[in-house]
Amino acid sequence: MRYYVKKIVSLIMVLFLIMLLTFIAFQVIPGDGAISRLGVDATDEEVEALREALGLNRSLPERFFSFLGGAVHGDFGKSYQYSKPVSELLTARLPATVGLAAISIILILVISVPLGLLCSRKEGGAADRAVTILTQTLMAVPAFFLGIIITLVFGLILKWFQIGGYIDPKVNFTGFLQYMIFPAAAVAVPKIAMTVKFLKTSVLRELKLDYVRTARSKGNTERVVLWRHVLKNALIPVITFMGMVIADVLAGSIVIEQVFNLPGVGRLLVVAIGNRDYPVVEAVVVYIAAVVLIVNFIVDLLYQKVDPRVRMR
Amino acid sequence: MDKKNSGNHRLLLELDHVSVGFPIGKREISVVTREVSFQVCEGEALGIVGESGSGKSVSMLAALGLLGNGGHVVSGNIRFYPEKEQCLVLNQFTEKQLCEIRGDDISMIFQEPMTSLNPVMTIGQQVEEMLVLHGNCPKEERRSKVLSMLSEAGLPDTEAMYGKYPHELSGGMRQRVMIAMAMICRPKLLIADEPTTALDVTIQAKILKLLKKFQKQYGTTIILISHDLGVIRNVCSRAVVMCAGEVVEQGNVETLFENPEKEYTKRLLAAALGKGGILRRENAPQENIIVKARDYSVYYEEREEQLFRQDETVKQEEEAEKVENQKSELEQTIEPKEIQNNLSKKAEIQKENRQESESELEQPIEPKEIQNNLSKKAESQKENRQESESELKQPTAQRKNQRYKIEMLKRRFRQFLSGKTKRRIVNKVSFDVYAGEIVGIVGESGCGKSTLAKAVAGLNPLTEGELYLDCKQPQMVFQDPYGSLNPSKTIGWLLTEPLRLKHCGTKEEQRKAVEQMLEKVGLGKEYYHRYPNTLSGGQRQRVAIAMAIMLKQKLIVLDEPVSALDVTVQEQILILLVELQKEFGLSYLFISHDMNVIHRICDRVFVMYQGEIVEKGNTDAVFENPQHEYTKKLLSARL
Repeated sequence: MRYYVKKIVSLIMVLFLIMLLTFIAFQVIPGDGAISRLGVDATDEEVEALREALGLNRSLPERFFSFLGGAVHGDFGKSYQYSKPVSELLTARLPATVGLAAISIILILVISVPLGLLCSRKEGGAADRAVTILTQTLMAVPAFFLGIIITLVFGLILKWFQIGGYIDPKVNFTGFLQYMIFPAAAVAVPKIAMTVKFLKTSVLRELKLDYVRTARSKGNTERVVLWRHVLKNALIPVITFMGMVIADVLAGSIVIEQVFNLPGVGRLLVVAIGNRDYPVVEAVVVYIAAVVLIVNFIVDLLYQKVDPRVRMR
Repeated sequence: MDKKNSGNHRLLLELDHVSVGFPIGKREISVVTREVSFQVCEGEALGIVGESGSGKSVSMLAALGLLGNGGHVVSGNIRFYPEKEQCLVLNQFTEKQLCEIRGDDISMIFQEPMTSLNPVMTIGQQVEEMLVLHGNCPKEERRSKVLSMLSEAGLPDTEAMYGKYPHELSGGMRQRVMIAMAMICRPKLLIADEPTTALDVTIQAKILKLLKKFQKQYGTTIILISHDLGVIRNVCSRAVVMCAGEVVEQGNVETLFENPEKEYTKRLLAAALGKGGILRRENAPQENIIVKARDYSVYYEEREEQLFRQDETVKQEEEAEKVENQKSELEQTIEPKEIQNNLSKKAEIQKENRQESESELEQPIEPKEIQNNLSKKAESQKENRQESESELKQPTAQRKNQRYKIEMLKRRFRQFLSGKTKRRIVNKVSFDVYAGEIVGIVGESGCGKSTLAKAVAGLNPLTEGELYLDCKQPQMVFQDPYGSLNPSKTIGWLLTEPLRLKHCGTKEEQRKAVEQMLEKVGLGKEYYHRYPNTLSGGQRQRVAIAMAIMLKQKLIVLDEPVSALDVTVQEQILILLVELQKEFGLSYLFISHDMNVIHRICDRVFVMYQGEIVEKGNTDAVFENPQHEYTKKLLSARL
């Protein structure tokens, strides 16, 4: 129990720190939201009036705590650019981003686990060598480049999907999936390559341990030994690794959203930075940080679920 | 010794000129056992004896196709006769056919109970898996069958045990689980590969008793693989002696052990049964005290859920014993009740102690433990005097109090962050060691003997009480000769390191000193440029010993220096240690769990149990006339 309390307390502390850092970062960066909105030709009076309206003339701590207070309620203020509440903008963009990440993660899990086991079972065999070469190559390819190639091959040549298209999941969920599978593949493939390699190493390490011999001496077939005995043990380090991969997927999808022209949070962020739309930028950064932290928190819990040795009373 | 069931002479397993090989590269095959032949009859217990690398496990693993790394039977046949008129040639079986035999007709238990169970599956799941794989036990009955098997194997509170994970059990308990697992399908043949080697002596005896019980009860044939002749003698009626992949000698245990024919068997016997003769001197000097400890306690900082502790092992074993006593009326060695009472009392005291030590955390503890050795004190006496004088002038008590409070707060905070707690491992021990003496510390794993040794060598700063050393910092020799030498450095580099650290002599002189030392420990100059991985275990231990005496320290702490070595190598190392001791006038603090070794080499012996020294005295006196119940128990467990 104390363990969970500790975890949650540190989670909150880290979130607070991130908000503080994000806030300070945008105070340090030269440039003023009011000027960027009004243009350089605006008179001092106009700028001053807008600063007053936006609350930019208040003291730093005052502004930080009002930002913090708002953030706790999910209120990040109004976008300078769209004059809409930031939370509203964010909610509108969430389905594309979350969908992209979720599909990528599912792809990673569904493909890399069987592939990793296959490679370690037939180590040195033809399948293993083919997969190893493929993973080595794909690991080195950046997601955006893969995205471009996928667009070229499946979009332009094969015409399996319409480039730049997007279907709202509320309108047509299967259509949404059909569109998302391509960008998700672009995000997932390099990560799959990494996960396969990592899992393979882990399984091979486990296979040398004594309990595997015991499992074999009981009369288990090799397949059962792998799936029932080894996999769970081998997944323990992989889970930690997956925590990092998932955080990476979230970051990677920002770029992929550009390539596939998806209306996600990533694109919102890029546009907002260009326009010095600080409330939006702050909100997106805090959102991403929070997701990464929460994912890692879940990974920690999962870790305990899988490995009884680290379970706390 | 018990009467042994020698079987009913129906052949069960036969190895007929079996050679086992492992592939090297694509074409070559390295043959590790040559033309091994022996037979096992139904119901008998056969022992296979030999040192590590003699190929004793390999033949049995080959029988079950469990070799791994492409190992296989190169020539010869392994024939298994499960029923009359039925002959299975195991080495011609496919993997699928072998899977049906494994666990059902032939099952195995292994040496390392700590790692042989799957850490992420519960005990129940793992035992039950056998029923899922073999036999047609209906689903509803499996659980109850598992529970009754667990209690047959002497595991207490089977309902709770079913849901426990391996790391929650002590080594002895895990081995019981392994046995339960191996026996639940009532196999015809049980292969036990060093089943007790990793266990403490008192637990060893219990596990062997359990094996014998099953042999009798179910007529199970047992093949016991061990390097320990005592274990073989205890359980088996016949034995096969193996050396370097070949069978040296086989026959009846009695005749084999009383009148060994072959030279190798004789040597093995002499070394193993402690007949190697006493190596210590008649009268050890007892003039100058070199180590003096008074009410010396040692603590460990540890995570809350850490590995196994002796008190818990003892608790579990006691419960197991109760279960067994209730369950089986078979061949009971009735132990004096006193021992039991004594043990449980001990456990209680230990518990109190732990609570005490926890509450003590809140009291001020001397921050700077008196670890200073006398010689250093002499050097810095002036400084000390000045310091103490200046301290005297100040009203220190209050200051100190304040400091302790802060210290305690810091400590609590650290504890909270790291989840670590301090536990007392060694509990207020007092002893002296004289210069030129070999003192043995004996006890079972977890009794605190290694912890004490490390503290004396200055490797654990969390101590309390007084320890005076009349010498420079003692050097240590550790148990594992494979793990304790840095694999990326040459022997020469490793041995000059202590000299470099203390700036002794020029490079040339250092080199000379190292070469001399190499000769002294029986290795020779040519080892200067070798790397540890090219040396055998015994040679590495020689290097470790050379490293320890390089600086001519007077006190050497040896933590199980020969436990990882084969008996014949053990012998050589012990002789070397005694020679070096005479030549350099060293004192040894010799930690071991092996009573035979202690008996041969130590002038005096301290018996440790649950963090305390329960008995100390001259070796002969302790061995001939043990006073404490625990010492008696240790001695009687000697096989």
